Parts: sequence; C-alpha cells; structure tokens
Amino acid sequence: MRSAWAVAIKELRQIRRDRRTLTILIFVPTFFLFLYGYALNFDIRHVAMAIEDRDDSSWSRDLIAAFQRSTYFDVVGETLSDREAAAAIDRGQARVVLVVPSGFGRDIDRGETADVQVIIDGDNANTATTVLGYVTAVLRLSSTTMPGRPVAQMVNVEPRVWYNPELRSTVFLVPGLIAFISMITAVVSTALSIVREKERGTMEQIRMAPVSTLSFVAGKALPYLVLSFFGAMAIIVAAMIFFDLPMRGSWLALSAIVIVFLIGALGTGLVVSTIADTQQVAFQAAALIAMLPTLILSGFIFPLASMPIVLQYISAIVPARYFLVALRGIVLKGLDLTAVWPSIGALAIYAVAVLGVSAVRLGRR
Amino acid sequence: MRRRIRALIWKEFIELRRSPQLLRLVIVAPILQLTMLGYAATTDVRHVPLVVVDGDRSPRSRQLIERFASSPYFDIVKEESRPSAVEADLATGGAWLAMIVPAGFGRDIERATPAIAASPPTIQVIADGTDANSSGVALAYVQGLVGEFNTSLAEERGAGTPALEGRVRIWFNPDLESRNFMVPGVLAVLLLIVTANLTSMAIVREREIGTLDQLNVTPLGRWEMILGKLLPYALVGFVDVLLVIAVAVFWFAVPLRGSVLLLLAASLVYLLCTLGLGLFVSTISSTQQQAMMTATFFILIPMLYLSGFIFPIENMPHVIQYVTTLIPLRYFLVIVRGIFLKGVGLSILWPQFAAMGAWGVAILALAAFRSHKRA
Amino acid sequence: MPDVAIHVDKLSRRFGTFVAVDNVSFDVRRGEVFGFLGSNGAGKSTTIRMLCGLLTPTSGRASIDGIDVGDDPEGVKRRIGYMSQRFSLYGLLTVDQNIRFYAGLYGLEGGRLDARRRFVLEMGGLRGKENVLAGDLAGGWRQRLALGCAMMHEPPIVFLDEPTGGVDPVSRREFWRLIDGLARNGTTVLVTTHYLDEAERCDRVAIIHGGRLAAIGTTAELKRTFDDRPIVEVRGPDPVALMAKLDTLPIVEKTSLFGTAVHAVLRGRDVSGEDVARALADASLAVSSVSAVAPSLEDVFLDVVDRVESRGAA
Repeated sequence: MRSAWAVAIKELRQIRRDRRTLTILIFVPTFFLFLYGYALNFDIRHVAMAIEDRDDSSWSRDLIAAFQRSTYFDVVGETLSDREAAAAIDRGQARVVLVVPSGFGRDIDRGETADVQVIIDGDNANTATTVLGYVTAVLRLSSTTMPGRPVAQMVNVEPRVWYNPELRSTVFLVPGLIAFISMITAVVSTALSIVREKERGTMEQIRMAPVSTLSFVAGKALPYLVLSFFGAMAIIVAAMIFFDLPMRGSWLALSAIVIVFLIGALGTGLVVSTIADTQQVAFQAAALIAMLPTLILSGFIFPLASMPIVLQYISAIVPARYFLVALRGIVLKGLDLTAVWPSIGALAIYAVAVLGVSAVRLGRR
Repeated sequence: MRRRIRALIWKEFIELRRSPQLLRLVIVAPILQLTMLGYAATTDVRHVPLVVVDGDRSPRSRQLIERFASSPYFDIVKEESRPSAVEADLATGGAWLAMIVPAGFGRDIERATPAIAASPPTIQVIADGTDANSSGVALAYVQGLVGEFNTSLAEERGAGTPALEGRVRIWFNPDLESRNFMVPGVLAVLLLIVTANLTSMAIVREREIGTLDQLNVTPLGRWEMILGKLLPYALVGFVDVLLVIAVAVFWFAVPLRGSVLLLLAASLVYLLCTLGLGLFVSTISSTQQQAMMTATFFILIPMLYLSGFIFPIENMPHVIQYVTTLIPLRYFLVIVRGIFLKGVGLSILWPQFAAMGAWGVAILALAAFRSHKRA
Repeated sequence: MPDVAIHVDKLSRRFGTFVAVDNVSFDVRRGEVFGFLGSNGAGKSTTIRMLCGLLTPTSGRASIDGIDVGDDPEGVKRRIGYMSQRFSLYGLLTVDQNIRFYAGLYGLEGGRLDARRRFVLEMGGLRGKENVLAGDLAGGWRQRLALGCAMMHEPPIVFLDEPTGGVDPVSRREFWRLIDGLARNGTTVLVTTHYLDEAERCDRVAIIHGGRLAAIGTTAELKRTFDDRPIVEVRGPDPVALMAKLDTLPIVEKTSLFGTAVHAVLRGRDVSGEDVARALADASLAVSSVSAVAPSLEDVFLDVVDRVESRGAA
C-alpha cells in the first residue's frame, strides 16, 4: 500500500504542474453549471410570428392582438403576401405564420366557425410541438370571447408538480452534469495517465520497481477519485448556492453513491488504458465509450422512455443511467439508501465488472 | 512547393495507415455515433409511464382513461386503488405522472352544462418534476387530451362548434419527427468531433516526438505545413461526410430536399473551419493531452451546447445569443438543416456560407501565424 | 567573407528572467569541424536553435554562409542540415519512406533523388534495412539515418545537436568517422557535445558555460593556458586526503579528481612535481606516484568552468 501511495503522490504532483489540465478540471464544471443555469433550456418563449391578415376586420385585429399580448409570441411582420410569408420561414425569420383569411370577421359575426391558417416550421419537432400547443391555447382563449360560445370547460385539470414545482431545467440537469463531468475526468484522466506512461516508456521503469500492478493501479486511480469526488460535491454545493438546488436527502447517501459511481468510471478508464496504445486512441476511445453514452443514453438530456427498445436495453449497461436515477432520487426526492438500492447495486456490479476486466487484461502482459 | 506538400500528405497517410487503432476509430466512431444519436437523440416525449387512480369507476372515468391508454404519449403502467399509493410510484421512478380521477366524476359531468359550469369536476395530475423538460411536455399532452375530451363532451350536448378553428400545417417535417432535425445536426457535430480532434494532434504530436524542429529547418513553409497537415484530414473528413449523408438518407430516411452538391460544398467550407480549429489548438498546446483536453473541453463541448444542436438558440438569453454568432457550427447547422429539410439554396443560405468561410480563413490564418516557426 | 561559414555576433536569448545564451560571438570557418562543449543546460542547444532559425534571438545577429538568419531564414534553411539530440525520424515510416519524405521536403526528384537515397543508405550502412520501420531500428542506425536525412540536400553546413546521445561507443566512433568524412568533403560541421573525447576530435572547440562563451580555440590553443601552470598527477591510496592536503599548499592553484588520481594545477612555470612530492612527504601522506602530465581537454574544461564560476561569484 505504501508503494500505491508513492504513485499517488507522484500523480498528484504531475496534475498540479499541468496547469491546463487543472484549469479544465475547474473550468469545465463551472462552465457547465452556469451554462445550464442561465443559457440552456427548452423553455420556449418569444416565438417569432409573421402574420398575413387578409381580412383586416376588427375581429382579425382582435385575434392578432391576442397573440401579441401573449408572452409566447413576438410578431415580427404583418400583412405579408403568401410569398413573403414562405420566405420568412425559409430564412428562419419566422417560426410560425398566422394567416387570417378574408371573410374571417363575417364568419364570426354569423356565429359560424371561422378558420385561421397556421403554418409552423417543423424542423425542430420539439419546438414545433410546443409552438403548436401555444397557438391552440391562444385560439381557445380567444374563442371564449366570441359571441355565443361556451364559457367554461366541462372537466378541469389540476396539475401539480412534485420535487421541482417550477419545472426548472437546472434542477434536473445538475445531477446529469455531475455524472457527465465525473465520467469525463475519471475515465479520461485515468486512461490518459496510464497510456502516457506506456508511450513514454516510464511504464517499464515502474514495472521494474517493486510495485505490484494492483498498487500501481490504485495509486494512479486514487488522486482522480479524490479530485472527481470533490468536483462532484463542489457542483452540488455551487448549484445549491447559485441555483437553489434543494438537497433533500442525506449527504452520506450522496457520498456513497458518488463513490461507487466513480469507482466504476475509473475502472472504465483502466479498461480503455489496457486497450489503447497511444494517447490519441485512448482519448478517442474514452470519448466513444464513456462520454457519448453518458450524454446520450443516460436520460441526461434525451428521455430514455422515448428511445427504441434496443437502445433502452443498451442503456442498461450505461452506469450514468443508474447514477442519475439514484442522484435525482437522493437530491430531489429525499430518498434514503434503501430506496435507491437497485441503482447502487447496478453501479456496484458495473464497477466490479470493469475492474475485473482490467485486472485480467493487465495481468496478461 | 507542390512537391513538398505532397511529401507531407503522403507521410501523414502512411502514419495513419500504420495506426490501425486510430483508423478504425476514425471510421467506426462516426457510424456508431450517428446510429446512437440518430435513434437516441430525440427530445420527443413518448411512452410516459403513467399511474392511474380511478376513484369513480364510472363509464365516464373509463372513457377518459381510455383516451390516455390509446395515446402514444402515455403508457399506463399501473392502476392504484388509493391516491396515497402513487407517492411510492413517483419516488422510485416507476411512473412519471399520476392521474387521479375523483369519486363523483361521472355524476358531476352529467349535471354540468357547457354554458355554466360552476364547479366542474376536476382531475388531479401529479408530475415528477425532476426531469423538467419531459414533465412539462407530458403535462401539455395531458391538457391536450383533456381538452379533446371536453370538446367531445360539448359536442355530445350539441353545444355547437368552437368559434375559432386553427388549420395547422407543419412545414418541412409534417410528422414532427425530431429525428429529421437531429440527424442532419449529427453530421455537423460528428465532423467537428472527428476532424478537430484529429488535427488538434497533428502538430503537437510532432512537437512531442521532436520531428517538428526537423520539419522547421527544411524549406517547408508555414502555409505548406498547414496545407500538408490539413488535406489528409480534409479527405478523411470528407469520407465521413459521404458516409454520414448516406446513412442519414438511406437508413434514417431523412428527406434530403435540397441540392446534394450544395451540401457537399458547404461541408467543405465547414471542414475548413473544423480543421483550422484543430490546427490552431495544436499550435497552442505543448502536449497531446493538453491538445485533446483543450479541443474537447474549451471548444467542442461549449460549441456543441451553444450551437443550437440540442438547445434552441432562440431560447437563450440575449448575451449568449451574441456569443453563439462566433460558433461556426451554428451556421453549418442552419445550412444542413436548411438543405435537408427545407430544400433551400444559396440565395437564402449565403449569409451562413459567408460567415463560415470568413471564420475558416481567419482560424487558418491564426493557426499559420501561431505555427510561426520560431518561438 | 567567403571563409566564414557561420558568423555569430553578440547573440543572446532570454526565457523570462533566465538568460540561456548571453552575448555569444564567434566565427566558424568553412570546412571546419567546430565543437560546442558544455554541460547540460549550458546553452548549447539554444544557440544552435537560434542559428537554425528555430528560435528568435532576444538580441544579436547571426549569419550562415553570409546570409543573415533574421533577414532570410528560408535562404538559410536551404544551406543547412540539422539533426537534434532527440530522435527526429518518423517511427511509423520505414527507413526508405523517411528518406523519401525528407527528399520530398527538399524538393529532390529523379536522378538526384536516387543518388541521394543511395548516398544515405550507403553512408548509414542501411542497405538491406530499407523496409524496416524507423521506430524498430537500434540507436546507432537511427542516428546515422537521421544524419543522412539531415544531409539529404547536400547542405554546406550542418548542425548536430548532441548527435551521439544515448548511443553505444562503437556506434559513436563510427558516427564520428562519418563526421570526419563530411568535413573532408568540405562540409562545415558545428557539433555540440558533452563528451570530451568527441571534442578532442574537433578542429576548434568553444566551451560554453552558463550561457557564456568561456573559451574558444583549437584544443592545442586551449591547452596553452597551462603553459605556465604545469599539472601534476598524484596517486596514492587515499586520494581524498591527498586532495585536501594539496589544496592547502601555496604552490598549488587548484586540484581536481580524475578517477582515482588527483590533478593539481601548480602556480608558476618553475614549480615542479618534486616540490609537490616533498610537501606531501612532509605531511607524511602515502604517495605512490607524482608525475607531470600533459593537460587534457578535461583539465581545460574544468579550469574554464572554475574561472567562469569564480568570476560569477565575485
């Protein structure tokens, strides 16, 4: 164990010297946190709307005013021709075009259903769906102000949101962020630090020294475990301070789950290092097997339930998936360890598996 | 001059060929990433696991629940008998949404009239807000389904048709498949990842081995070095472009409405940017590890997030929106999506082409300047 | 100035506050093998890198073959070959591919390419190894291939930066035979080394220490500093004790350890070994032999370093 310690100290010294890596370890979490906190969200406001008013009656102006009043739409152009409306969408200047046909006001005065045409740029399906919802809502609302129409809903919905009542993206993204950053720092740093020694030939040197493979690996991994652990905790604390992230569960449970996850991540880095011969390959491989699945197949950004079944099965071997469930459970729902045991179990199995694989591969040489 | 560049290109190819692991990654990674992203990168919310508590057990309540059961957006995973039971379902993540139909629901509906619904029957919907985006979308679906239910009730009573009817046409992507939006975007992102990463190593690797000095004492000029390093990877990138376009069109059946030639031309201009970026990183790094870390964390990931690839730029704060104008990926995304989905041409996309071209030339000049042979 | 191949005038280079090369001036004549002797970090590589145009001087000028390095670095590059202490070949390319690559960079084609390729293979004794990966070559072969690649375009001047670092003695000797061969054909060679036996083989030697040019001349000229300071070699069972005693003698200027022997530099032409032997006998120290020796380059080097350091201390 003392030799593992020696390797760990050496590694820490190297990390401290390498200013840029250190900057990255600090910059990346901060950057992401603020990015998620301020910049990134799916909340859609200020949808650019172009209007083609062929009726120009008081009713049509009322309807347009209703759209203008809503906080969802910004009217960017009025009374356009067909061609101009199409061009506005092509250029991306407008996301939606509202066409009020002539005879609109007349239909309303007669008590008939008046049609309006709505053209939505569907390129981003997610945005388009939301925009469609907004348009429908504004139309429905305006509808009740028209003469001789039903005033109320027969059935009401009373929505309630638990754990995150304002549906703030930050609260949901922070746990994902921790998973992502820990995965990157742990996998990439471990893999690179070992492959670098291979490349430079210092690996031979260390192998000649009376250090067992186990202590070598432990020594390599320890500093990154510590760094990643504090990194993860720092993100949580910063999110609590800056973005009112609630911490409803116990810190002990949180630490436990973070450590189990990190061990798995470090193990993944080890496996990569046993496969790759050069840093370049190690990095690419780490990106492929660690970063990408964590980003895509963990439920971090894209909901797992919407994915094809095959991918859902594949996501079963992505540790971040379990980590996210457990983390959100502990931080947002206040669950204790017994409630998240299936996730912890899965993470533990993963950790044992990758450590086993890397031990076998390291021992073979 | 041409001979010197040719010698450099030839050398780069031999090195690439002798690195089978790397070569495999260059070919396999994009395909794997594309398939993964193509299938997984959907922000559509479907199959939301729903737990239902039917406190009424009347024909009306079954009618409502049936609407949810037959909707593609919801999967009813469980029926609980008591409202208090849903708590555990939401806590463990077994369900994202709980719907509670109160007792007396059917009776209240029969009593109410559309004109004066003083105390309409109310169903309670509880969402797990931890995944804010999905929950928000799912709640909107609930409103929609209940709205339809309302309309059908009103029609049943002969309340007449609504005053306004929106005739909605969705252009470019009528089925609202988010894949059609994401897959062309993946082309842009993959190119950035593969080429910028590869070239970011190109010069720094030689610096680490010590061959850079050797190159620098030969008559090889700055621009010759940049070109010689750029062209092989441009070729690799271009192969990736063809590969990704083929998979997008033939496998994912994403409509390619615009001109393929224009798309390829745009890819070339874009490659200029990504390769230039990689080379620039290479010139400011002293070790390969630094180069990779810099490329990934300071460039790739911020660009990925701020380009509009996943998160729409129009939703970002204004300051950040200005920042995004510095990102070439942003322009290429507009171009690829424009060509793929909207079928638009140069007459509309020229500002993006111009911005990208200017960016590419600028970064290459910067790289050439930084690679100035003397420290 | 057709006779001067390399002209260096008050060249300096600072890295931050550290002065790596301090006001160095010298000339190298055409066809000369010019040795740059100094310990690690003395400023040898920095100087060479400035002469090749790899590093911009903080101040001072240098010209190669009459061309100013600052004004026309590209013109300089056509006239020089450079081989560095670090392995500067592409390990993933074969011997032949490395040769062809460098030939391509220098724009060689057709008959000239074939001739130079043959020359490099011949010179390095690399015949039959054309298709071996450069990364798989043993140290000596690599060094000769690297030299060959640096000589690809038949430059009149070559810079060799510690070319024999990490190479076995036999390969070193062969390598120096190559250097002599180049010089015979009129090539000017500037070679840095910290091996004194290599420096002895140079026509002229510059000793650089702490970034400063401490001495310059043929080895014979350098040794002349000992003309009025004879050196005696003292052997005995306890060299450390001998040295301690010698240092206290007024006739001894300074001492240094040479293996198991002690070299003592004496003050003045008229002092001799007998005086030393007598003094040691008076101190009843066991002495097996005291003999006058001709100064070696090592004596010169240590002497120069001593002087630079005492000057620095003063």
